[in-house]
Amino acid sequence: MQASAVEIRKVNKYYGPFHALKDVDLSIPPGKVTCLIGPSGSGKSTLLRCINFLEEYDSGEIRIDGQLIGYETPGRKMSGRKLREMRRSIGMVFQQFNLWPHMTAKENVAEGLIRVRGLSKAEAETRAAEALTKVGLADKMENHPSRMSGGQQQRVAIARAIAMEPRLMLFDEPTSALDPELVGEVLNVMKTLASEGMTMVVVTHEMGFAAHVADQVAFMEKGELVAVDSPQGIFHAPKDQRIQNFLRTYHERNSF
Amino acid sequence: MEWSILEQYGPSLLRGFGVTVLCWILGTIFGMALGLVIALVQRYAPRFVGWIVQAYIEVIRGTPFLVQLFVLYYGGPLIGLRLDAIPAGLLGLTLYGSPYFAEIFRAGFRAVPHGQIEAARAIGMAEPTIVRRILLPLGLVSSLPALVNFSIILTKETVILSIITVPELMYQVGRMSAETYRYLEANLVLALFFWVLVEAISRVGRRVETRITKHLIERT
Amino acid sequence: MFSIPVFLDSFEPLIWAARYTLLISVLGIVLGLVIGTLICAARLSSNMVLRKLAALWVSFFRGVPLLVQLLVFYYSLAVIGIDVPATFAAVFTVGICASAYISEIWRGAIAALPKGQAEAAVAIGMKPSDVWTRIILPQAVTISLPALINELILLVKASSLVSVVGIMEITRASQAQAATTFRPLEVYIAAACIYLIINLCLSALGRYLEHRTAI
Repeated sequence: MQASAVEIRKVNKYYGPFHALKDVDLSIPPGKVTCLIGPSGSGKSTLLRCINFLEEYDSGEIRIDGQLIGYETPGRKMSGRKLREMRRSIGMVFQQFNLWPHMTAKENVAEGLIRVRGLSKAEAETRAAEALTKVGLADKMENHPSRMSGGQQQRVAIARAIAMEPRLMLFDEPTSALDPELVGEVLNVMKTLASEGMTMVVVTHEMGFAAHVADQVAFMEKGELVAVDSPQGIFHAPKDQRIQNFLRTYHERNSF
Repeated sequence: MEWSILEQYGPSLLRGFGVTVLCWILGTIFGMALGLVIALVQRYAPRFVGWIVQAYIEVIRGTPFLVQLFVLYYGGPLIGLRLDAIPAGLLGLTLYGSPYFAEIFRAGFRAVPHGQIEAARAIGMAEPTIVRRILLPLGLVSSLPALVNFSIILTKETVILSIITVPELMYQVGRMSAETYRYLEANLVLALFFWVLVEAISRVGRRVETRITKHLIERT
Repeated sequence: MFSIPVFLDSFEPLIWAARYTLLISVLGIVLGLVIGTLICAARLSSNMVLRKLAALWVSFFRGVPLLVQLLVFYYSLAVIGIDVPATFAAVFTVGICASAYISEIWRGAIAALPKGQAEAAVAIGMKPSDVWTRIILPQAVTISLPALINELILLVKASSLVSVVGIMEITRASQAQAATTFRPLEVYIAAACIYLIINLCLSALGRYLEHRTAI
């Protein structure tokens, strides 16, 4: 399976008068993990959500494997059908899991396979079982989300995304809503995905994950992409004052 | 639509509207008062009193308003309750509205964070004072939208009073249409009148609500 | 004072009349559900004209008292000259009135769903129609169930108003019964009891359904 590459060029986004993304340029190399870090309100989640056009960017280009997403040509929006077509190859994991509460874990994972990929129910359920086994939840397949811990729910959400065989995975603060002791199980699944060569873009506050698993780290503040570098470059030798301030505050709050 | 009819019946229609407004306002006020009493009784009275009150609520909410009015107005005399139409209508509206108002107040009380009450108890405040200074002010603020909402519902219920001959607006329209044979027009205009009235009151109500809530929150 | 024999004797004719009460309430809510769903769809559509028309519909049928609606419809039919059984007219009016409330119940339920549910479906590329029928509607129905049962209870009570157009449901029958027995107190209290029993059963049904569908 070919992993996707994403090119973000001069992207701007406005919420009314508020300039949320300012001329953002970022390359997401295929098969690599890119982490987006920065203070709240920096626009990292907004940028992530622009990649699969859940948020509409106002100017600039976002291309996935060379194809523009969201627009046919600058100014002309893409048809709903084409957008859905592109989204099939993009997996997204949300901070709030967003599992469908009226379906079991297996049904949650199978739903996309049936409705979007057009598989038969039997085939979909087999693949769903495989995906759930891969994230370590083979024994929870018939459970409803209400009967699972946050960490388990998020792993089901990851299974739901990977069952669709995406070429790109977007993670929007996947562990922020979890109790600390449940964060590890989710990060482990993400590390496995990374080692298998998936292109991943992860918005996160887990600096340890970014430092050890990411291939590149992008720091954003107030809508601007301040710096993109290797983890070494961002965490151990940051040149920009803003990054230094951010890391210092982080260390103060998290070390004991 | 002949305007001379309006001239002829104008005064009686106006009087009818006056009766509607009177019944609505008094019914709302008394209903709210009784509802508040019920809500407080349910919160503080011993269990079996609470059951009796709950039974009353179930009965009123489980039976049609019209039947309640019939019991009061036509059935009342048999147990010595001889009321004229308007007093009977007012009594009916009050009794009908009280359980709904009580539920609204109860929800408002529940919305007051328990910690606030505990804090008051912790400094040794007496229960009646807690009710007066903490529970009621905060509870009333959260109840406000629902209270306004239900009183608007009561304006529509007033037309049912016409059936027990309370001379409110619909009753007068009924008399007018019977005498002029213009049943459809008269009731159509009545419908439009209520539509505009209810829509207007709802909008004003929402604006008043926001203003009062802001004001009350600033003061507490 | 209170005559128990008259009270008990009233039950038979009134229970017989209850079939009209139930007919009107049940058919009314079915009609209300069908029309209410359409109105709700119009309320949420991207077409501004549809949205405004639906908003007017809701505002009118919630703003005008049901009693007035009944008379307007009843007299309209007389003027147009259509010979329609009063029961049919009553069901129609009650159903249309209910549709306005039900549309708002649906709207509230749909709004209560966390936005993320639909977002997750959209993110894997699901068609809008599938997002509606597989994710949003099933949950909206479950959330609305208590409000819908409540609406049914309101309709049972509202059915007492159709007595004014002569339909022999519980209230009208009790008026007739009171006229023959000259004991309105016992008869009307009997009528109240029957309504109460019906509504208590519906409330119990509502609680059972809520319990069964709790996710």
